[in-house]
Amino acid sequence: MIVYGISMLYSVFLWRRGFRKDDRINYALLVVAFALHTTAMVLRGFSFQRCPINNLYEAITFLSWTIIAAYLVLGLFRKFRFIGAFAAPILFAIGVFALMPPLDKAHGPTPDFRTDWGSIHGTFILLSCGAFGLSAIAGAMFLTQEHDLKFRKLRAMFSLLPPIQRLETVMNRLLISGIIFLTLGLALAPALIREVEAQGKEFKGDPILIYSIFIWAVYCLLWLARWKFGQVGRRFAWGVVGSFAFLLLTFWGFILISPLHQ
Amino acid sequence: MPIVVTGLSHRSSPVTVRERFAFAEARIPATLQILRDQGIADEAVILSTCNRVEIYASTSLDPTAAAAELREFLVTIHDYRDPITDEIYSLTEPHSIHHLFRVACGLDSMVLGETEILGQLKKAYDLALQHRHTGSRLNKAFQRAFNVAKQVRTETSIQRGSISVASVAVELAEKIFETLDGRHVMVIGAGDTSEKTARALLSRGAKSLVVANRSLERAEAIVKELGGRAVLFENWSAEFGSIDIAISSTSATTHILNRAKLEPLMKARKNRPLLLIDIAVPRDIDPEVNLIPNVYLYNVDDLQSIANDYLEQRKEEIVRCEKIIQDKAKALLGQDSSGNSGKVRPAFGQ
Repeated sequence: MIVYGISMLYSVFLWRRGFRKDDRINYALLVVAFALHTTAMVLRGFSFQRCPINNLYEAITFLSWTIIAAYLVLGLFRKFRFIGAFAAPILFAIGVFALMPPLDKAHGPTPDFRTDWGSIHGTFILLSCGAFGLSAIAGAMFLTQEHDLKFRKLRAMFSLLPPIQRLETVMNRLLISGIIFLTLGLALAPALIREVEAQGKEFKGDPILIYSIFIWAVYCLLWLARWKFGQVGRRFAWGVVGSFAFLLLTFWGFILISPLHQ
Repeated sequence: MPIVVTGLSHRSSPVTVRERFAFAEARIPATLQILRDQGIADEAVILSTCNRVEIYASTSLDPTAAAAELREFLVTIHDYRDPITDEIYSLTEPHSIHHLFRVACGLDSMVLGETEILGQLKKAYDLALQHRHTGSRLNKAFQRAFNVAKQVRTETSIQRGSISVASVAVELAEKIFETLDGRHVMVIGAGDTSEKTARALLSRGAKSLVVANRSLERAEAIVKELGGRAVLFENWSAEFGSIDIAISSTSATTHILNRAKLEPLMKARKNRPLLLIDIAVPRDIDPEVNLIPNVYLYNVDDLQSIANDYLEQRKEEIVRCEKIIQDKAKALLGQDSSGNSGKVRPAFGQ
């Protein structure tokens, strides 16, 4: 978390400078953070003798791990390395959330799924969050560059950020990927509920399920508004960034009040 | 054997003089042969561009005497009989090496930091090399000059950014659109700068050009040269649905495009990004248009301001470039040039 914090502070510096240079220092910081992050996850996995994705803390940790892993692969290409400056604050924010004590509860009695669909369901949901997160990062880049171009700031010219049209394409594709993953994850929910009910446990409208459907609807509306009603550019970017901010702020709360996911 | 440079450039002489000293490429190998046959140079390269004519010679003569001979040779071979004062300069080592490196890096160019000169220098060197007019001394100096130019390009920002209105417009378009390939460009009012801008956009891959002008003949003349379609000025807005970049430079006294007119057009084009470049004075496009989402409006002052900022940035890089050149020249000459100020030695004979 400390290295993520340093990377975030350095990102603020890069942001103010207008992304003029290839930020190898930030990439190196995030490599160090990734190494520490991976080591922590591996150690936790070995200590519990299971894959460390069993409570909200672990899920969030895994989510941020997927984001940084995706960034480090993209960052191998010089022209994508600046994405780290946008990823670092999000990774730091996610990390701060993950450190909240109520999130790291001991794994209590859980539904005994006889199939692997529960893990697949969890993987799809986390992948969708990762895709929405990366889409929000692209959205933040879009808003920065679009603002500088609109207000004729010279740093728009010096910046290494990609053209805004490409950023919008990336945003849209990641959003569609997120919707697909979320749809697949939600599509598995009825089967999992049936398994829970077959074990004699009663299921009455889990809050996280309703919340997930709401999030799915929000993202579908965003996509529809762009595709059908020409809500492109800045409005679309604000929608993507705002939706993910809402997701970050509320997701953990709904998980905590969901009996099925405790 | 020392290296001597003698010649003229945009800094020392006007084009009316430079053009009389220019060498046609076909004539250069024979001229180099004469130069060597006369014993003035053992190795030589002639660089002849629109902004400079220079002879780089490695000579076994005394450098000052060689410089005088080269100057005389230049004047004689071009049969130049008008009085010459400061137009022709001569430089001996270490200034000649510094000069060669500065030329290769574009520091001595009219457009500071431009890269075209490096290609011209390579071509001039290759021509002399092919005809065996270079040897170890000039080969080493020129190869080092090319390396220095590469180092300067990668380690400094001397060549970064655009410093003309047309190239700034292209760079702006590249910040907005994923690619310029397949983009549709419209020129409203066919002025000289708008034509240059359209030409620059087309050279970077823009797909098609529509020219709307009050005089259809003028529009057709541009279209004939650049390709595309000419339309009547009154019909320009009908073309807006498919346009990505519009360059306006009419002589209208009021705005020809305002927010009320553009908003429905943007809806029709599904809010795709639109770059508007208003080169006209008085302006053709109401500044309020920039408030419409996905519309990016730049006027001539905005573009010029960006070009000036780039130029300032390049100027700030000169010190770093000179430091690299100084170090590399010192390494090449194998001597301590700390006492050299890098100043160009006064023209021979002054």
